[in-house]
Amino acid sequence: MELYFTSLGILLLGAFSSIFVKEHWKFKTCSAFLFVSMLLMLVPSLESIFTGRIFEYNIYLSQILGNVNFVIDPLAAFFIVVISVMSFMASIYANGYLKQYYNKQMNLSSHSFFFILLILSMLLVVTSHNALFFLIVWEIMSLSSFFLVIFEGEKKEVLSAGIKYLVYMHLSVIFIITTFALLNIKSGSLNFIDFEPVLQANKGFANTVFLLAFLGFGIKAGFVPFHNWLPDAHPVAPSHVSALMSGVMIKTGIYGILRVLYFIGVPSKFVAYTVFAIALITAMYGILYALAQRDLKKLLAYSSIENIGIIGLGIGLGMIGLAFGKPLVAMLGFAGAVLHILNHSIFKCLMFFGAGAVYCKTHTKDMEVLGGLIKKMPKAATLFILGSIAICALPPFNGFISEFLIYFGMLLGMLNTNIAMLILFVVAIAGLAMVGTMAMLCFTKATSITFLGQPRDITIYEHVKEDISKSMWMPMSFLAVLTLLIGLFPQYLVKNLMSVFTEFVKAPCIFVPLNVLKLMNTISFCVLVLCGFIIALILFKKIVRKKTDKYSTWGCGYNKGNSHVQYTGASYVSLFLSTLKPLFKRVTHIKKPKELFPKEAHYEQNIEDIEEAYIVKPLLKWDESFLSKFERIQSGNIQQYILYGLIFLVLSIICLLVFGG
Amino acid sequence: MLGVIKKTKAFFAGRKGVSIWQPYRDIMKLFQKGYVISETTSWVFWFAPVVIFATTLFAALFAPLTCGLSIFQIPAAFIIFAYSLSLGKFFALLAAMDTGSSFEGMGAAREACFSTIVEPAFFIAMASIIALTNDMTFMSFLNILDDSGVYGYIIILLLALTLFIMMLIECCRVPVDDPTTHLELTMIHEVMVLDNSGADLALINWASAIKMFLFESLIATLLIPTNLEIWQMVLAYIAIITILSMIIGVVESSMARFRMTHVFEFIFIMTITALIILALVTYRIYGS
Repeated sequence: MELYFTSLGILLLGAFSSIFVKEHWKFKTCSAFLFVSMLLMLVPSLESIFTGRIFEYNIYLSQILGNVNFVIDPLAAFFIVVISVMSFMASIYANGYLKQYYNKQMNLSSHSFFFILLILSMLLVVTSHNALFFLIVWEIMSLSSFFLVIFEGEKKEVLSAGIKYLVYMHLSVIFIITTFALLNIKSGSLNFIDFEPVLQANKGFANTVFLLAFLGFGIKAGFVPFHNWLPDAHPVAPSHVSALMSGVMIKTGIYGILRVLYFIGVPSKFVAYTVFAIALITAMYGILYALAQRDLKKLLAYSSIENIGIIGLGIGLGMIGLAFGKPLVAMLGFAGAVLHILNHSIFKCLMFFGAGAVYCKTHTKDMEVLGGLIKKMPKAATLFILGSIAICALPPFNGFISEFLIYFGMLLGMLNTNIAMLILFVVAIAGLAMVGTMAMLCFTKATSITFLGQPRDITIYEHVKEDISKSMWMPMSFLAVLTLLIGLFPQYLVKNLMSVFTEFVKAPCIFVPLNVLKLMNTISFCVLVLCGFIIALILFKKIVRKKTDKYSTWGCGYNKGNSHVQYTGASYVSLFLSTLKPLFKRVTHIKKPKELFPKEAHYEQNIEDIEEAYIVKPLLKWDESFLSKFERIQSGNIQQYILYGLIFLVLSIICLLVFGG
Repeated sequence: MLGVIKKTKAFFAGRKGVSIWQPYRDIMKLFQKGYVISETTSWVFWFAPVVIFATTLFAALFAPLTCGLSIFQIPAAFIIFAYSLSLGKFFALLAAMDTGSSFEGMGAAREACFSTIVEPAFFIAMASIIALTNDMTFMSFLNILDDSGVYGYIIILLLALTLFIMMLIECCRVPVDDPTTHLELTMIHEVMVLDNSGADLALINWASAIKMFLFESLIATLLIPTNLEIWQMVLAYIAIITILSMIIGVVESSMARFRMTHVFEFIFIMTITALIILALVTYRIYGS
């Protein structure tokens, strides 16, 4: 535990010292401090994960906060590992990414300061067991990430996305405060440990608390219909920040949900079904919109929503397993969820780093003007392709493992139960399969339009001089290797993470973990066989070398077609999206060609989020019209304000006299 | 099998047709040829045929080959089966887009789109069968009758229909796609491999032939009566596969391919049969 606090201290020191060093050295300092703190963090957290030991530390902070309890249990330790490793990777990457902003009067000092502050607050969020302190660090986390998002704040869309993010985060805080307030009233304490008996004694109360917490933390995590901030905030932030936010920060929302669930123990059936259903909708919705995007980072942001949905499916499955007293199903669900948290943070960071590399070299995020970049930046392209295989949950990469666990849990869950569960699970299995294939469609689109084929805009293409720098591809390849290793040898990971899942499933029998492990062994063996096949065939193809001629692509007899005849991202998915027309709101701007020799014509189509278009916007409109009725009160006249003050005072005295006495 | 299909088609066209071993000869011939590769392509294009072939072989390890027995008997094998084929498809799509050709982009878009609708239906059907038989391996196909009595025949027929449609789509046969057409605009699978040549083309063609065999094998396992001796089962298996290939040939000779917009309707038939299977299974387990 001392190591944990030392490491926090080092981070704080790093945050302040990075303000005072020169521009070029800022993120190098950050990386150095983060590296040291990561090593220190890993010692207690890995010990906690491997042995299931729980570290506790009590500090008396102040009159108001009282005793603040810091706890590193396996769940917290798991999140600490994810946070510290990923943020170290992001800080290395930032060295290369921020080069484009040097000598441009950008405020890099505040950027690096808030970057470390964000990491610090995330580390505190997952360990603090005092409601008030939790809220304070939660707020620091939201605010520091807000400042990171508005790094390029002079652009209008950046600022508006940032403000939207801030508003959503405060909506989420309202629900979390309500949750803790309710718990505080019932238990009379702010410490998490006192919440547990209250929650377990009263089932109805526990349900209310869980649903409130799910609302609050769900906004942070990005469950549909509270996901709206995500696709706006992620694309405008610098890439290392979006990687950190999407890969790590939204997981603190999941952490909150898991922590509340941990206190509740066995959830009620209704709540479990609700979580499961919302998660399924989230996954489908996220990937459907990811398909339709032309902005690379926006696509990734929507795919984060999809993956949060998959994690939610795992949690929902686990909850259903608990509620119906099926430990193996519950175990598989939580194992899938926890693994997917790790997996998603790895490959999502990788993908955002890749998207950042593209942005760094081409200064555009619009896929439709890119293409053929694999020849200019082979490293970035290769790593991006590896990331997209992983994110599509295809073997032999890590995404497959977590999805397989969830599938398997659902298959087991539907045997010998009631009719509702059978149908629910079969639908969910089909849904997950559809999510998987849509993800394949989405990411083949993303990679092929960006990196493969011929360049669609030759000026941008020629502007790209060199491949990405070492500080960018090093963390990316580390993450790519990690995805492959987890995919090949999942049994070791699952074995060591067992202490995290068993916290939820207080399974009486020992065979449950053993079954999961056996399954993982089989999968690992199968996947290795697949790799063997691929390697053997590569060798075969290398050895049997034949004469190779190079010609241009077959164009059905036309030889001089230009790059514009290629399939674009929009046309690639249009066949599929046309079957789902009602789910999208299309905004088209058409300027039809006129006259005999048309000079200009223009066609533009944007796809708006259906939830934003039909729910959020009308609500905002209504809100505006409602609030504007109060504009008259605010006249700007000082005397009038003093009058308001007097009226308020008199009213409150009257209230006191009437009700107080 | 491809040979049998060709032979049947030739019979219907009134020709004598080529030998049923001709596909193997074609593959051997292609292996001996050199490559012609587009200038636009990258390593993805080089790598894709390898992955396509490897994943198909890998999937073959999980599919039932005779009497429901497969090389790897593991639970929930159908997930690995489907996902490994998806990995091959992933690279096929990337390779098609890698050439930068509009035809291949078109083919890729169609293939990706169809499989998005096919996969959920397959998963629904498989999950229903697992729920019915309590067995997560492909052996469950053999137990359908024991577990469900009269309904079993209906379920088996519907499942066979579902798998047959899936085979037509995945292996791109008429009426979804016409593998022998000469017009690029109407193709799906063939258009994706326009620029492949030599051993690459051989690998891809071989892989799709194996894939087709796998689907036929699935259907054969489903249809074999379970009360036979082992050698009878093997014989029945071979007979069913031959008959299936002939059916495909008959379909191809007697039907034209659908318009692209009608293909969706055709695929939705598969979804509907899968849902009917689910309904029957639910009724069987929980009904009355």
